[in-house]
Amino acid sequence: MTKFFKTMTLAAAFMGSTAAIAQDVPRIGAAVYGLNAEFMQLWAAALEQHPAVVEGKVNVTIFDGRYDALVQQEQFETMITQGFDAIIFVPIDIEAGATAVEAAHDAGIPVVGSNTRVNSDLLLSYVGSNDVQSGYMEARYVLDQIGCEGGVVIIEGPIGQSAQIERLEGNMQALAECPDVTVLEQQTANWSRAEAQTLMENWLTRHGDNIKGVIGQNDEMALGAIEAIRGAGLDVNDFAIAGIDGVTDALMAVKNGDMASILQDGAAQAQGALDVAIAAVMDGYEPMSPIWEQYADMPWNGGTDAEYNVPWTPVTAENVDALLEMRQ
Amino acid sequence: MTAKTHRQDFKAIAADYGQRYGILIALALVCVALSVASEFFLTQRNIINVLRQASINGILAIGMTFVILTRGIDLSVGSVVALAGVVSASFATTSATAGIAGAPYGFYIALSIGILVGMAAGWVNGVLVAYFNVPAFVTTLGMLSAARGLTLLYTGGRPVPSLTPDYRYVGTGDVFGIPMPIILFAVVFIAAFLVLSSTRFGRHVYAAGGNPHAARVSGINVKRVRMMVYVISGALAGLAGMILAARTGSALPQAGIAYELDAIAAVVIGGTSLSGGVGQVTGTLIGALLISVVNNGLDLMGVESYYQQVIKGMLIVAAVMLDQARHRHA
Amino acid sequence: MQPLLEVRGLTKSFGGVAALSDGHFTLHPGRVHALCGGNGAGKSTFLTIVMGIQSRDSGTIRVRGREVSFSRPSEALAAGVSIIEQELSPVPAMSVAENIYLGREPTGLFGRVDFNGMNANAQDLLDSLHFRISARSLMMDLTVAELQLVEIAKALSYNAEIIIMDEPTSALGEAQADELFAAIVRLKEQGKGIVYVSHRLSEIFNIADEYTVFRDGRFVGEGAIGDVTRDSLIEMIVGRPLTEEFAKTNSPTIEIVLQVAGLNAQNSVKDVSFALHRGEILALYGLMGSGRSEILERLFGLSPDLGGEITLHGKRVTLSSPSEAIRHGLAFVTEDRKVSGLNLMADLRDNICMARLNELSTLGIMRRTREASAAQRMIDAFGIKTPNDKLVVSGLSGGNQQKVVLGKWFLTEPGILLLDEPTRGVDVGAKREIYRVMSDFAAAGGAVIMISSETDEVLGMADRVIVMRDGRISGEVARDALSANSLLHLAA
Repeated sequence: MTKFFKTMTLAAAFMGSTAAIAQDVPRIGAAVYGLNAEFMQLWAAALEQHPAVVEGKVNVTIFDGRYDALVQQEQFETMITQGFDAIIFVPIDIEAGATAVEAAHDAGIPVVGSNTRVNSDLLLSYVGSNDVQSGYMEARYVLDQIGCEGGVVIIEGPIGQSAQIERLEGNMQALAECPDVTVLEQQTANWSRAEAQTLMENWLTRHGDNIKGVIGQNDEMALGAIEAIRGAGLDVNDFAIAGIDGVTDALMAVKNGDMASILQDGAAQAQGALDVAIAAVMDGYEPMSPIWEQYADMPWNGGTDAEYNVPWTPVTAENVDALLEMRQ
Repeated sequence: MTAKTHRQDFKAIAADYGQRYGILIALALVCVALSVASEFFLTQRNIINVLRQASINGILAIGMTFVILTRGIDLSVGSVVALAGVVSASFATTSATAGIAGAPYGFYIALSIGILVGMAAGWVNGVLVAYFNVPAFVTTLGMLSAARGLTLLYTGGRPVPSLTPDYRYVGTGDVFGIPMPIILFAVVFIAAFLVLSSTRFGRHVYAAGGNPHAARVSGINVKRVRMMVYVISGALAGLAGMILAARTGSALPQAGIAYELDAIAAVVIGGTSLSGGVGQVTGTLIGALLISVVNNGLDLMGVESYYQQVIKGMLIVAAVMLDQARHRHA
Repeated sequence: MQPLLEVRGLTKSFGGVAALSDGHFTLHPGRVHALCGGNGAGKSTFLTIVMGIQSRDSGTIRVRGREVSFSRPSEALAAGVSIIEQELSPVPAMSVAENIYLGREPTGLFGRVDFNGMNANAQDLLDSLHFRISARSLMMDLTVAELQLVEIAKALSYNAEIIIMDEPTSALGEAQADELFAAIVRLKEQGKGIVYVSHRLSEIFNIADEYTVFRDGRFVGEGAIGDVTRDSLIEMIVGRPLTEEFAKTNSPTIEIVLQVAGLNAQNSVKDVSFALHRGEILALYGLMGSGRSEILERLFGLSPDLGGEITLHGKRVTLSSPSEAIRHGLAFVTEDRKVSGLNLMADLRDNICMARLNELSTLGIMRRTREASAAQRMIDAFGIKTPNDKLVVSGLSGGNQQKVVLGKWFLTEPGILLLDEPTRGVDVGAKREIYRVMSDFAAAGGAVIMISSETDEVLGMADRVIVMRDGRISGEVARDALSANSLLHLAA
């Protein structure tokens, strides 16, 4: 076992070998819930492209939680044993991971949350985006498009997940402002494009022309709805459709005029969290990520805020090309 | 032969018919109930929806029927769906940027690649099961993991977008108003039906599943038959993967998760015995349709999707109970 | 003396058809009573009612003079009636003692199983019966005969007085059967009553004291074995007078069709050489494990080539797979039709056509009319009793199932027929038909190699016998020199 860890440390040292002496720089672990989907891929890529990492000021290791709360917990134990200096944590769910955070806190390792909240007051700080806000923004877009009247459908994430709960809260805030709008259907498609497509096909059969707007709680599901509308031989332009996250396919759909998307800036969440984590272990550190200049609404404040709110960016015909460019 | 054995035969036959037509009757009853409950159920558009929604699972389930008939199981189809989808789709997009977009052969090459990827995965399963005697459950469980891993490696976890219109034709095109997935489903069904009912290979499949020892003594190459059924299942998973990618508009590395379970469910509901040797693709067709009809009907009635899972679970258990009852009589 | 078991006027019908219309049976203590009858004579119905598996329509059953009505087998067991079934169902990974006390393990503190006490009790029981089996050995390490002895011990552990044995020797060789018979004799000495069901008449004459015959669900007759001849018992079972039991019409020629030289096979079969002539029925005789079946498996390409030469009609052949053997005109009726002869889930037609699919298809497409007419031809040729060829074969009687296997092989138009225990589990009437088929086949220019554990059958049918011992040929006996003694002498 000891030998194994030695090898691990050695490997980590090699990976971060742009620094002259790897052992001297702080080691920061990033425990993310899973790397199978595009959003977290972008998040992880941004972390590795952070100037502090590129210049070798810190050493970053990413742990793939494989969508399992228990795996994440075990990875925390590994990081504590190996004496990481700080941990960035993206839990699978708001309720999962409080124990892990507590264990790290007891070992004196600061934990910075990113993207998804943890139900724990032991987090040093949280860098993420407010899902209630995005839920409100996307619903507001749909309602504006249909003139605050008619029928809409809501395609939800997995019931009980924090993102679903908060985005729905935002959806409902916007809907409350339009009393003439009826919610015809509201069901989960588990973030899945294929499931949303089936759901939308069946809803179109039942409600036909009465559906004016589609509120998809993520882009994948909104894209599934678009395919269902096309499959039924209808015109996508007759529907107001919105999603959240700004995945590449959605950006292209926006460019095409099919839908609206609210970009969740995963890159900013990752880089922001890393800056906060470095500040916690390095005295007098000044943030190196360009995001602090990009988002004037989110002041650095010495890296000591309990919460940093990365603003949402509505994807529009104007900024979509630039955003797509960044993805290449 | 005496009265007693005659009666047993009669019971066995009655139970057999009861089961085969039982599932058809169940489908008919569900359809009648749904057409009363929802005025939209029997509309042309909805019927096309149900068939289209059944097509991917139906194609997988037909491949699964071959495997289960030989006493095997293929847990890897969901992962093979994703692998074949991303590989064929990436080929279709690259050929577009390479300037041969629109050329019909570009599409056919992508299609062949998708099916070939599925066949290759199936071939590995088949060789391990037939020639190395690794239990099918273990082999295909391994492939479930390995194929998913390869998919993620191949794509880096990101979807393969911008599919060419030629490629998308597999999922969104139509012939005389009948969507392409339904046509492919029908072609696969008819081919599988003919293979199982009227070819020598079909007889080999039933014999190798019914009693592998007796089949071997009768001069049938049981190992080759076992290998072939996994190749068939893999090829159909490849086709299903392309239909899925073409329907949803991009090949997602997360596609097809847990699809093997629905495919097995359709086969089991359709009356194919998990102990091999007994079953028809007609049963599988009805099983796949029943699952789709129930999902569709509950959507139309606005029932929450979690209930659909409960109802599907009850359907599977009920079908197996029927199967068990039949074995007790026989 | 009061009978142990007395059954009078037992009836049972299924859906208006009588399966048993007059069940009549009397068993005395210390006796072995053979229950005889063809397949479907009503024996199984009778036994299942006595054991409480099925209910009766009318009639009385008395155990030691007390009228009983069992509604489940456990009640019968509690009253001292137990059955040793044709197909045993041991738990293979458990010990002998655990199997004997399955479901009623003696327990100690906190419900912990008292293994020491259980093993000791089981060993005492086995020793008292003179069974040389360790209570601690695993069931999967035992032979079929030993499994049966364990079943007997299990029955006695319930203090059974009446022990029903349903075809107990169907899976045993001659030596193992002798072991079983010795056990039966000891049970008799202890005053137990044994109901013995078997198709093998020689066994009945060997072991039974009394007989009862059922035919078509009716009681036909009973009496002491000493008062009946073999022929008259057969007549009672079959219901009509019989001509000779072993119909033999063939006579061997001098033309050699198969020559085997220095053949090795699995399970240390070494250096086997013999010739088979056109028109000949050659028997391979020997104890279980003497290598008889291994020779046939090698000849049919079911086991790997371990050396030796095989010459068919003067040409060297390899015979490395069953399909190659079939192409060379060999056909193999295996020892156990349920394990390797039939696809029990398929119908008659598919079973009959199974070894002939190449010829019944064109470019891989099956020709249904050819399949149907081929199946019908075989059904007619063998007199298989079935309403049609779409009946699943698991519903057929043992004799009819065996005829389906024969039909499958005759459809391939073989030149050489390999038969491993061709009449096992088949009733007297069907046996005679199988003998007739064998001898007609040889008479028409075919050649037969048969294996049989029934000495009578070997003596009745074989033109020549090769006796095997420990994987080698220990002797060869021509028909005119055949006797049970000479065979046993060479085999043991």
